Formats: sequence, C-alpha cells, structure tokens
Amino acid sequence: MAFNLTRRKFLQTATLAAASVPLSKVVSASTGVTKSALDTPGTAGDQTVVGGICEMCFWRCQLVGKVRDGRLMKLEGNPKSIDNGTAICARGNAGVKLLYDVDRLKYPMKNVGKRGAPKWKRISWKEALDECGSKLKNTVDQYGAQGICVFPHGASAKYPMHYFERAVGTHNVSEASFFQCRGIRDTAYVATIGKAPGEKIDMPNTKVLFFIGDHLGENIHVSHIKQYIQGLQNGAKLIVADPRFSASAAKADIWVQIKPGTDTAYMLAIMNYLVQNDKYDKEFVEDHTDGFEQFAESIKEWTLEKAAKECDIPAAQIKEVAEMLAANAPNVAIHPGRHVSWHGNDFQRERALACLTGILGAYYVKGGWVPAKGPKVGGVSWKKEDHGHKYDLNYDHHEDEKVYPYNPPGTPTDLIRDCAISGKPYPIKSCVVWGQNPMQTIPNQQMMKDLFNAMDFVMCVDVMPTDVTAWADILLPEASYLERYDYIKTGTQWDLSKEHQQYISARMPLVPPMFERKDQIYITNEIAKRMGHEAKIPVKTMEEMVDKNLATVNLSIEKLKAEDGIHIQPGKDPYGIPEEFEVRLFNEDIADTGHPGAPTYIPVPDNPKGFARLLYGRAPVHTFNRSQNNVWLHNAMPDNPVWVNDEVAAKIGLIDGDTVGFVNSEGVESATTTTVKVTAGIRKDCVYMYHGFGSANPLMTIGVGAGVDDTSLITKLAVDPETGCHGMRNNFVKLIKNGKVLDIPA
Amino acid sequence: MLDTEPSNDIARVYRFLAQCMQYPDQEWMNDEFFNVLYNFLGTLDAVEDGIAIKKAIDNTDDAIEDLQVEYTRLFINGVPHVVAPPYGSVYMDQSLQGTFAGDTLAFYHTKGFEMDKSADLPDHLIHELEFLSLLAEENDFSGEEEFLKKLFRPWYKKFHPRVTKGAHHPFYRVVVQLIDFFTKEEDKDGFQPNEA
Ligand code: SF4
Repeated sequence: MAFNLTRRKFLQTATLAAASVPLSKVVSASTGVTKSALDTPGTAGDQTVVGGICEMCFWRCQLVGKVRDGRLMKLEGNPKSIDNGTAICARGNAGVKLLYDVDRLKYPMKNVGKRGAPKWKRISWKEALDECGSKLKNTVDQYGAQGICVFPHGASAKYPMHYFERAVGTHNVSEASFFQCRGIRDTAYVATIGKAPGEKIDMPNTKVLFFIGDHLGENIHVSHIKQYIQGLQNGAKLIVADPRFSASAAKADIWVQIKPGTDTAYMLAIMNYLVQNDKYDKEFVEDHTDGFEQFAESIKEWTLEKAAKECDIPAAQIKEVAEMLAANAPNVAIHPGRHVSWHGNDFQRERALACLTGILGAYYVKGGWVPAKGPKVGGVSWKKEDHGHKYDLNYDHHEDEKVYPYNPPGTPTDLIRDCAISGKPYPIKSCVVWGQNPMQTIPNQQMMKDLFNAMDFVMCVDVMPTDVTAWADILLPEASYLERYDYIKTGTQWDLSKEHQQYISARMPLVPPMFERKDQIYITNEIAKRMGHEAKIPVKTMEEMVDKNLATVNLSIEKLKAEDGIHIQPGKDPYGIPEEFEVRLFNEDIADTGHPGAPTYIPVPDNPKGFARLLYGRAPVHTFNRSQNNVWLHNAMPDNPVWVNDEVAAKIGLIDGDTVGFVNSEGVESATTTTVKVTAGIRKDCVYMYHGFGSANPLMTIGVGAGVDDTSLITKLAVDPETGCHGMRNNFVKLIKNGKVLDIPA
Repeated sequence: MLDTEPSNDIARVYRFLAQCMQYPDQEWMNDEFFNVLYNFLGTLDAVEDGIAIKKAIDNTDDAIEDLQVEYTRLFINGVPHVVAPPYGSVYMDQSLQGTFAGDTLAFYHTKGFEMDKSADLPDHLIHELEFLSLLAEENDFSGEEEFLKKLFRPWYKKFHPRVTKGAHHPFYRVVVQLIDFFTKEEDKDGFQPNEA
C-alpha cells in the first residue's frame, strides 16, 4: 500500500479541508492528554515510597521504591528493616522489570479460540466478571460446590481461596506450596513437635549446621542467607548431604555425596549411632520426648555399615558426622528444608530431621531450632463454615477415615485431578487457577491438560501469561505485589542473639496499578456478588482489609506510613523450652493410622538401566517459573544447563557446552534443549538442572523455550503415603544429542 | 478535560487516527465510521485500501470481534506473542514506562499538558496522536515538529513495520500506514520514500 501523494502536498490541498470535517464526527470528544489547569507540573523529583514487600519470592523482604513522575525507577531494602535491612537479592531488584514487563496481562481477556490454543479478545471487566460469576454459579447449581476446584498460590490467592473453601464450600483446593513443596515438612514436624518448623534455625549462633539437600546460596532468601553467612563467619561447622557439589557443599566441612532417596537411612544410622554410643542428650530425651524406647528399638538395625551401603557413602564419614553433631550438641542447627517433596517417602525423612534435632536436645537452645517470638496480627477473611466431609476427597467414605492421615491443609492434587478426569466419585466441572502455574509445578502435564479439557469452565488470574493461562476461558489481570495493598509481614530481628525486637509491616503499593489490573478483593467480591454471596463479603477493599488487620495491634496504614512502613517494638527472648513442649520420637497416632510410628526408611525405585535420576533445584536469580520472563534475570541466567558427571560425560561422548535434549523412562521427550555442564561435582547416577525454565507459552516472549522445563519430564507420580503430597525426584532420563539417545552408564 | 472538537484540519486528522487506534467497539466503530474512513482513503488516492478493509469486514459474521481479537493479538497479548505494543519505551528502552515514557511526559508538561487520570501511559500511540492534535489546535507547528522528530518517529518507525508484517487484518495495516504518512518527515524535495 502506498499513498500516491506527499504529505505536504496533501496538507496544502483543499481536499484536506473537505475530508477533515467529517473526520471529527466520528471521534470521541475527550482525550487522555489535557491542558493543565495550573502551572506545568514538571518533575516532582525522586520520591522514596515506603511500604513495599517483595514477592519475587515468598521470603517477602521489606522494600522502598524510588519513584520519579509516577514511574518506579528502583527498588531497595527498607533501611528501617531489621530483617533484610537495606539488602535485597537480584530477583528483588528485578521486580521493576516484572512491573513493566510488556508481556504482562493488562486487561481481562476471553478465549475465543480453544483451550490450550487460545485466541484472546480483550473484554470489559463487567463482561469478564459476569461470565465468571454465571459459569461458576451454574457449576454449583448443577453439581454442587464440590464441582469447583481451585489451584491457588501466593499472598493474593489467600482471600479467593478462603472464599471458595468457606463461602462456596468446596474442599477441592490444592496449593502448590503445600502439595508440591513444603507441606510434608510442616505436617511431619507438627506430628513430631506440634509445630510447623519454618526455617527457624538459629544459624548465626550455632556450632554446626546440618543440611540435607538444602543449597543455600543457590536458594536465596535474604535474611536467611544473612543468618547462614553469620553462622559460618562465627566459625560454625557445615555438614551438607547432597548428591551434587552445591553452593553449600562448596562451603562444607563435610560433604556427604549421598545416593538420592536414601537420606532417611542416613539419618537413622546417625541417630542409632548416637543412641548406641550414649551420645544423645539424655536429659532432654527424659524431660521432653515421648516414645524413646520404641524409637530406639525401631532404628537399631541401622548400623553405620548398613547405611553406608544403602546410601553409597563411607561408614567412617557417617560416624564422623554423628561425632561432630554429638560433640557440639545441643548447639546444632538441623535444617528442616523447604522444598521437600522429593521421593514419595518424605514424611519419614522430615520426621527423622525433627527426631534428630530432639535427641541432640537442639530445640529452643542457642544455635538450635528456635522459633522467634514475633507479633500476632489478626487475619481478617471469609468466615469459616462447616461444609461437612460428604464431598471431601480427603475422606475414604467406606471407612470414614482420611485417605492421607497427615495431608497438609486442602486436598492432595491427585485426589482432585483423578476425580476431575474420571468424574468419580462426582463431577468437577469448573476450575479456578489463581497465581499458580500447575503446568510447571504439578507432575504429569498430560494429566493437567486432561483436567482442563474435562472442565466446563476455566478461569485464571495472574500477573503474567504463564503456561497455564493458555488453558483459561477467561483470563484476568492482577495487580502485582508492587501495585497493591495486601500482606502483613511480621517478624523479629534476624539475629536472635541481638536486642530482642519485633516488627510489623504491611504491603503497600509503591505505584498505582497500570491498565485495568485489579486486586484480589475486587475480583473475588465481584464474583461473590454474582454467585449470591454478597452478604458474606468480609471487606470491601484491600485497604480496609489491611487496616482491619492492623487495628488488632493498634496500628493503621496511616500510622505505618508515618513510621516509614515498618513498626518496631520491643521483642521477647525466644530461648528456653516451653513447658508443654514434647518431641514424639515414636508417635502412637501415626502408628494407629497404619504408618510407621518411628522414622522409617522406605526405599525408592532404583534407576532403570541406562537412565540417570533427574534432580532439580533452585537458581539464585530465578524463582521457579515465576521469573523466567524477567529480562534482567533472563540475562543473568538465560537457561538451565544440565549437570553431568565428568566420567559419565567422557564415556558417552559429551563435552561441556554440548546441546542436549531429554527423554524420560516413560518415553516423554523434552520440547526444548539445553547445554551440558560437565562436572566432577555430581554423582554418576543422576543429572541436575535448575527448575523453572523452558516455558511453553509463546506469550512469554523472553522465557519461551529458554532452557528445558524439568517438570515436563516429571511424569511418573510418586505420592507420599502419609501426606498425599507428590514426590518429584523418581523420574529418570537419558540425554539426546544430535537426535541420538545416549544411555547413561551404570 | 478538553471537550471540544478539533478545530483545524490537521488536528482533526490526528484525532481521527487516534480514534482508529482505540480498542474496537460497536459504539464508535460503526457504519458511519467506516464510511468516513473509506472517503478519507479516497481523498488519498487509496480506494483499494478501503476496498480491502470493506471486504474483510463484509466477509465475516462478527467484524467487531475479529477486530477485537486482532487488536488484542497485535497490541495487548497475543499468540505466539504480542506483535507490537503501542508504547514508545518498549522500542526505546525495551520496557514499559522506561525513561522514554518519562521524556514524553516531560514534553507534554513543557507544553502545558498533563495526562488524564484515566489515561493509558504517556507514550501510548493514541495519546501521542492526541497530543499532536492539541498542538495543531494551538498552531504550535514547531512543537509538533519537535515532538515528531524527538519522541514520535524514533519509535514509530520500529513499531510500524512490525504491524505491517504481523497484521492479519487490513484495517490495522492501513491505519498504521496512514499514521506513518501523516507523521513522517519529508526530505527537502518533498519526496517521501515509501517504507511499506
Ligand atoms: S529474597 Fe529476594 S526475591 Fe525473595 S523476597 Fe527477598 S528480595 Fe525478594
């Protein structure tokens, strides 16, 4: 197309005058640019806006934003913070890039194509909410509340999750943070010490740090890392059990190159050694534990030699570790882990960690497991209602017993997924995904697709067009953590030995939301109104919610702002064992459910011939798939090279930097390729890569196809028998180079 | 907020072009609108372009939905990826709200204008065209020229070919070409090379 005249000529002709008059008839009268009423505003200079709380990961460091003319220029740690202080990590800094990511969702959209192969059309909020409300209401009317399943994740998903659980009444809610991550840890510790452990070990003041698979340094949470580094600086010894020479293993005094899946056997042998050699804390065991005899009896088969064989490590090294722990007890920090859904035998491993801490007497003492005493701030939300267990998949209705006696809150993912796909015991017909990307968090992508295809209606709420959003019928854009009020963050000073202080802060927007992004209260309430629950709505706005929560401690948004975003008050001494505290070394209740009452090693499937076990972990500059489209972080780490043992690589003809794909033991091939990192720092029987790469959604223009999506290769399901959580490291792969599948030598 | 019709010819043209870039909606994208567009293309000796648009519109059950899907894919979120976000700083800073957006806003301020609260980002194509129309109203031709040169053309010349290449619907191909035509500087002989 070309216009056969020049602009200047055209503008000079009488034709323009004739043509331009009708033009104005079809334009709207108003413009977005208007004459200033007053003097030219000019630039207001840089402003420091307080009240930010990071959510590039879930550690939630406290931020301030440097804002110029309404634009967020830079994020920094809030100087008033007694947690992260002025420090934030690379991901925290890169929040600016998430905020202004061109690919971010901006308006409500309707899929006028197919699920999985969408054609998006921008629609109004009214149309989007009407559609969500009526489709979800239809599901409830036709199939009951249980006809809706919900996959939530993150701070903004709490309020809608409570709505669907409490007001609507579905039990079919599955949070990835529980069922594919840390839920096992929490319920195992609750079953042992009555409390979820967090990562509450007193690292700065410990004498020995004991990590099973924790790779701090690659897994970065600012104040946690500060604690860790302080501990090492103060001379703490570090023991790291990991099949890989991780960032932590590189700093370790003892690196235990353990065979994957055998960690519980390893800990049982350490505990048995301590018991057999009278090197445990007798006084603590006497005063604060229950079931010691049965526990000791149950683990006594685990000699150093037996464990050495099972774990493929030297017996002398197990002894060395046990001696080091005993010599420094009770000031030893046994890390409870964070992402712990590994092999489907994880409840027992977590129990073993909790019991090991117990027999070393390392609870509530300097350098042990010590929960800081933080302030309690009220949690306003939807009112709890009893919806019975008739449609609760957690219950086996013949026996009226729980299917998984120690499942974390919600319903295990596979109970929901199987029911949704099969329609048994009842139909599930609508799916709400809020901030979670089940395509890259839940094993077996085909089953996830089958679930979505079985739905009458799918809605997704997110900030980015992650892989799962391609399966939505309606896609709603959410305000990010930098643009909304929301989470109340509380805690104490990061080093427990320092002056006892507590802090209270609340997430406040650093800039207003752009485009038509809305927060969770607006979206949930509008849907609730359309589903007939208007009378139950607990708060009208996010500000109201935050203010009501803060009011329980005599604070308000206004007061917090006046205090630079963080309220600090005197704290309490966290050391000293509470009277009622007890470690259940042998737990009768667990035994009554038919599971082992003392920590027990359950072997995991071995590698099929020619395959390596696929291990994955966290990258220091990415937070799973949440940050894969962030241009700064992508530049820092564009893909996820696969670690291959140097001897294995030499045998199969791989060199550093080779490009490879994968095929797993079930015949599933990776859609993309990555490069090889040849290293002596990994066992021969496994390969390793960072999790959260290789997005399949082309809407993620930076992250699409960058590296390999490890979750796509995790197709074999392992489910932890006590908790119903997934185990995700029982999948095995071969590498493919130039189209040739390479067998991994035994 | 200004609530008047543009008062001179070039101001009307800018405002019309800005209107064409609004999200398609039955309210304004009606027969009258298309007739005006076709006539306008006629005055530019581009009847063929009008025919192409008319054909695309007549050969479908829901012309507005087609254009909405196309608009979403080209300018908002699309598969395989958004083709051409209509914001200057995406091209100049590889980000929304980059310093280029700040410079654009600063320019508005120096001319005594500000963004309405409900407006999109300052460097959105629509607002830039609206701003140009307001300058034209005030007969601030040097301001118009300076803005085009410093803050409009540098990104528009990257945006324009992306749309031309990526558009499935002739409407947006034609509209971006029209915008190009009315904003492009000609060389001293008045000769305008055709980039399309
Ligand atoms: S550790 Fe980093 S990403 Fe996580 S909250 Fe803190 S600054 Fe943000």
